[in-house]
Order: sequence, then structure tokens, then C-alpha cells
Amino acid sequence: MSDQLELDLRADLSELARLAETVDDFADRNGLPPDIAFKLNLCLDELITNIVTYGYADATSAPARAITVRLGCDDATLQVEIEDKAAPFDPFTEVAAPDLTSDVEDRPIGGLGVFLVKQTMDRADYRRDAGRNLVRLTKFLAGRPA
Amino acid sequence: MNITEESVGGVSVLRTEGRIDSGNASEFEGHLVRAIGDGSVKLVVDMAKLTYISSAGLRALLIAAKKARPTGGRIALSAMAPHIREVFDLSGFSSLFEIHSDEAAAVAAFGAA
Repeated sequence: MSDQLELDLRADLSELARLAETVDDFADRNGLPPDIAFKLNLCLDELITNIVTYGYADATSAPARAITVRLGCDDATLQVEIEDKAAPFDPFTEVAAPDLTSDVEDRPIGGLGVFLVKQTMDRADYRRDAGRNLVRLTKFLAGRPA
Repeated sequence: MNITEESVGGVSVLRTEGRIDSGNASEFEGHLVRAIGDGSVKLVVDMAKLTYISSAGLRALLIAAKKARPTGGRIALSAMAPHIREVFDLSGFSSLFEIHSDEAAAVAAFGAA
């Protein structure tokens, strides 16, 4: 079994709801377990939120097909690719590790999104290619029937 | 996302439903901050019908907890689905909030305090 999907998004946080519906459909038709579907939604949400909020902070200058999401699934792996045309930015090396232990007064606000992506996916890679940021995530689907 | 508010025996209960993501987290934060009001509040955020929360939702909860703390306000969470609990555990947020198995237990814990 192999399935692929491509979806273009505008640089707008309101696109996340539409993305979630598409991702849920993709997860359903591929028989992905609910916790994997949740993590897939979470990682896309976190990374795309950053792209919209920081990469395309000046939304008027964002291209029409600002962000492209590609999902691929076979029996063994789930592959996610997120492409944008904003300024070069590697979320996996340029975002500081969050403080996970301070109490309420001292706990910094924010900075958890990329950390959650690293924690929930098995691989998280970035490259810059021909004016595009390309993030690729991999989740191994353990114990799936062949 | 849908949020309903009710006062249960002097405890404010916010029942969350659906998805909390970066597109609507500011609305969630508004509900929390209003509930906290001028302090000394007992607030339960029930998650029995919450299907999804991202770091934007965690951010709103932390902002609310910071606002509540100086005046002795407390925020408890209840009825998290396992995948939501995992996000709280990974983020180190499970140590920031009291977490109860259901709304009644969270309200009762305030009564006992």
C-alpha cells in the first residue's frame, strides 16, 4: 500500500483547520492509528504556524501558494514534506531547546513547537534548495501488518 | 473549538471541546484570562471533549497560570485524552498544573483545599 497527497496552503493560520481535515482523511484511508494521526497533525500545525508567523510575517508579500505539504505513507513509514519560499530558516538548528522544569513564575512562554516535532517524529531534516525551505519528517510505523 | 463556562460550587469550570490550535488559541486565552479575572479564582479546565491541542494552547494555559499565581489563583485540568496527556508530559507541563481524572475530581480537590 502506498498513498501520496499534496496540498497548497496560503500563509494564514485559518488554513490549519482545512489542513487538519485533509490530514484526518489521509490518516483514515491509510489506517493510521489515532495517536500517529494526532502527532502528524501536531507536527504540521507547529511547523506551519512558525512559517506563517515568522517566515511570512509580512503576509502581503507571501506568494499565492506559500506553503506546500506533501504526505506519503506506505506499510513501514509515514513521510511528511513541508515546503515554503520564505527566508532561509532551519527550525531544527536555529531554535533553542526549551526550559521544561522551571516553575510557573520562571517558565518561559513559547518555544515548544519545534521541540514537540523532534520528540514525536523519528527523523526531522531540513535543507535549503532553489529558494525554498524544505523540511522532511519521518515516522516509522512499527508493528503494521505488511 | 467550543468552550462553555459554568460555576460549580464556587469553582469556575471551562469545558473545552474540539481543537485548540494557533488559529484559535487567542480565543482560548481570552476565556482563561476572563475566568481568572481579578484573582483568587479556582478554575478547572475540563478536557473531556478536547480532541487536539498544540503548543499554542499550552502557551495560553501558561500565560493564564502566570496571571493567576500572584493572587493565589489555581488552575486544575481534568479528563485529558492519553495523546493530549503525552503532549503535556513531553512539554514539562504536567508539573505546572494539577491534573485530575475527571471534572468532578478536580472540583472536589478544590473543595478539600
